[in-house]
Amino acid sequence: MKPEEARQVCEAQYLGVEMEGVTSNLNPNVVGVGLGKKRTHGLLTEDVAVKVYVKEKLHPLLVKDGEVIPDEIEGVPTDIEQAGEFSIWRPIPPIYHRKVRPAMGGLSIGHYEITAGTLGCLVKRGQDVCILSNNHVLANENRGVEGDPILQPGRFDGGKEDKDVIARLDAFVKVEAEETNTVDAALALPFDARDVSPDILNIGRVRGTRAVGLEEKVMKSGRTTRVTNGVVQDVSATLRVGYATGSYLFSDQMIVRGDKGSFSAGGDSGALIMDFQGNAVGLLFAGSPFFTVANKIDNVQSALSVKVL
Amino acid sequence: MPHALHAVCMASVEEVKKRHEARLMKTPGVVGVGIGRSGGKPVIRVYVDKDTPKVRKAVPDALEDVPVEIVVSGPFKAL
Repeated sequence: MKPEEARQVCEAQYLGVEMEGVTSNLNPNVVGVGLGKKRTHGLLTEDVAVKVYVKEKLHPLLVKDGEVIPDEIEGVPTDIEQAGEFSIWRPIPPIYHRKVRPAMGGLSIGHYEITAGTLGCLVKRGQDVCILSNNHVLANENRGVEGDPILQPGRFDGGKEDKDVIARLDAFVKVEAEETNTVDAALALPFDARDVSPDILNIGRVRGTRAVGLEEKVMKSGRTTRVTNGVVQDVSATLRVGYATGSYLFSDQMIVRGDKGSFSAGGDSGALIMDFQGNAVGLLFAGSPFFTVANKIDNVQSALSVKVL
Repeated sequence: MPHALHAVCMASVEEVKKRHEARLMKTPGVVGVGIGRSGGKPVIRVYVDKDTPKVRKAVPDALEDVPVEIVVSGPFKAL
């Protein structure tokens, strides 16, 4: 018998595909039948075999009598491979885009009128624990008003005003067109302190804050590109940054170049940049096709009178 | 000692950058000015939108003896 014919017999027998002269004996463990090179003791051989894909490959003694798959079908060898269960690749959103409570640094967040940005970290202002991110993430580029709803996840990631409001816009540093800015930062006050955690997703706790030096290695956890590593290539940059509402001048910024590919992309705004010891060093807010720009964490802390938690 | 020397070095580069920054930022095609290190020495970095002969001509090779490095960054945008 040709391998192709043997395959059709198996298909009919185990999977119930109709074929004249074959009565099917559905095998619940078989999830697929195909043709391929036979693998013996883990090594591929030159023989073509009928591949029988099973949910679980069992020891022959454990297989029920009626469900044993023969070693060969009229001269064509069979090869049983464990495949698990086949399923369509449902687009399960990554955790970064999902609703998570307690919410933590790295996750999608945003003012109800924007798309989505990243929750940076928690900060303490007096007795209050607040969420830190960018003005353009939490305050919609100066257009937000105190008390505006903040969604986690952000609207672009399915956040809704009736069930995903985690906090209210509390304070922000205005970005000014006529002046030189040093930070793009804002605070949101959570409704319930138990809805937020001081962790940074896939990184851990923040140890403290410090100023980084040139050529130091840094990392961040952000909504779009998740955890990435980079190198600080400038710690006193002055630059012009384009926003939806215009372009603004920023001074005393740090510039990071990605280790492999981009350090960040749209949606990563607001992410905390950390050194390899776990200290917060910057607040990510902008980028060019090759670089990422961040406010220095000390400037952020003093502009908002907060301490990183 | 080399540490202190280095600090002095960076501080003066910072001053040189400050003196020329406003003018550089007005040069068409320049999107940023900063300080970096190249071959262990501090340099003034001028970030440009696109690499064009025009911008190369407009940006000097050095400012008060501090070498200038042109970096093609593309435009900076809020993310």
